[in-house]
Amino acid sequence: MSTGGLRSRVRAWGRRQLYSFFSSLGTLYSHRLGTLLTMLVLGIAMLLPLGLYVTVKNLRALDLQHQDWGTISVFMQPGVEADQVHDLSDRIASRHGVAVAAISPEQGMEVFRRASGFGEALTLFDENPLPWVLEVTPQPSPGEDIESVVGPLSDWIGEQEGVELVQADFKWLQRLAGLLALGDAVVTVLSVLFSLAVVVVVANTIRLDVASRVEEIQVLQLVGASNGFIRQPFLYSGFWYGILGALLALVLLSACMWYLARPLGRLLDAYGNTFEISGLGGPEVLLVVVSGALLGLLGAWLAVQRYFRRFRLDGTGVDR
Amino acid sequence: MIRFERVSKRYPGGIAALQDVSFEIPDGEMAFLTGHSGAGKSTLLRLILMLERASRGQVIVNGRNLGKTSSRKAPHVRRGIGMIFQDHKLLSERTVFDNVSLPLMIAGMRYPDIRKRVRAALDKVGLLSKERSGPLTLSGGEQQRVGIARAIVGMPPILLADEPTGNLDPELSQDLFNLFRQLNAQGVTVLIASHDLPLIRSMGQRVLVLSRGRLVDDISGAEIRGARP
Repeated sequence: MSTGGLRSRVRAWGRRQLYSFFSSLGTLYSHRLGTLLTMLVLGIAMLLPLGLYVTVKNLRALDLQHQDWGTISVFMQPGVEADQVHDLSDRIASRHGVAVAAISPEQGMEVFRRASGFGEALTLFDENPLPWVLEVTPQPSPGEDIESVVGPLSDWIGEQEGVELVQADFKWLQRLAGLLALGDAVVTVLSVLFSLAVVVVVANTIRLDVASRVEEIQVLQLVGASNGFIRQPFLYSGFWYGILGALLALVLLSACMWYLARPLGRLLDAYGNTFEISGLGGPEVLLVVVSGALLGLLGAWLAVQRYFRRFRLDGTGVDR
Repeated sequence: MIRFERVSKRYPGGIAALQDVSFEIPDGEMAFLTGHSGAGKSTLLRLILMLERASRGQVIVNGRNLGKTSSRKAPHVRRGIGMIFQDHKLLSERTVFDNVSLPLMIAGMRYPDIRKRVRAALDKVGLLSKERSGPLTLSGGEQQRVGIARAIVGMPPILLADEPTGNLDPELSQDLFNLFRQLNAQGVTVLIASHDLPLIRSMGQRVLVLSRGRLVDDISGAEIRGARP
């Protein structure tokens, strides 16, 4: 039974892995109901952070679609000449690399006439009361905070000659960004908490599994099984629990999204929006499954180590 | 080879299970260990199997000093020893075949080799026809033989047995001891703890006598055979 050479030892190791692999699957299958319940608990635990993550992700996508909502409206003083307006427009555009559109009082009037329905009333004015307006659209580079771009820009524009009023309605954008940041933080907190929950659930399940197989473990130890050999099937069980829980969470997530898609679509339609809610991408799905597997492994490892610490074969009695 | 050098074992609470025990069983020898219950037979076997550690003295098994062997290496030591337990220690939910194959699974042997070795071991104890049975469907003597098959399947150089005939009738016990003699004849070192004195005497092998943790007598096989009526 001696092991000669590295190659045969690696082969022996592989065969032991294979044995543990199938033995763990057999255990999960023979305790189908328990496995199913554990899987359900794990799935729901993983679903909560995933659900919130997808929500935040979609809100962020919504935000990206409406970057132009961060437009700054610059109202010029009455009587400012077109040359001066274009001069300022050029300076803003060249200085800050932003898109600037100048709207003359005539164009403004036209838009207003069409949009407001006050067309008749406007004829009462002797002259056009509207000032020149510059629509400045900042284009923050990806990852750049819109507030940090819009704030200084509008301050600078406000100081320029001929400018009456700068209206930058980015407060709500700021709030949305704040909410999204909060959402991210909550996702992080939930992920950590529920990862912990996954580890604890798996550890507890494996602990019970170990407890119900103490006799078998002791016999294995008596005939020369190492701790590694005894640990292995339980590690595989934890691994399977983690993977199955993650897969179930993904299925539940898809089900939730499918269920919410229609009412959400109707709501967005009402806002004249054609927004498509998006789920998890391939790398994200992979990450979820791998995380599930690792957390399961960790839980199982903790449970088995606890057994080894508490029941040492040399010292505590096995038979009497 | 099993060697004890002035070994004492004291349990927490001050109970001395073994005191100053010294003996050597060379390779290929067969010996019995006897004494009243509580004399320290089980403790002595447990020391050899690294289920306990000596409080004092040296235990040397297969050339390895167990006092200087870490707990992590204990499985290695156990793989060199086939142990037969009074209560068999079989896994009731597995078949006879699976029970016997455990030591080979642990060694990571190829399945075809495992099958050959397990069947050979079961054949040796006369249970080849029961390989697919569960241990609980077997009689006490058959279960004990499954335990023996498991102990010998890995071909360890040492075989230990703790009261192997505890629950068996005299005829079965005799068969069992004959089986041990057969294995010994093939070169295995055998140490059997038993209090069945008539049976031990009939075997004509060396006998170590323990009393209250001390080795009080060490009778050679020749002496036993000479004293036989």
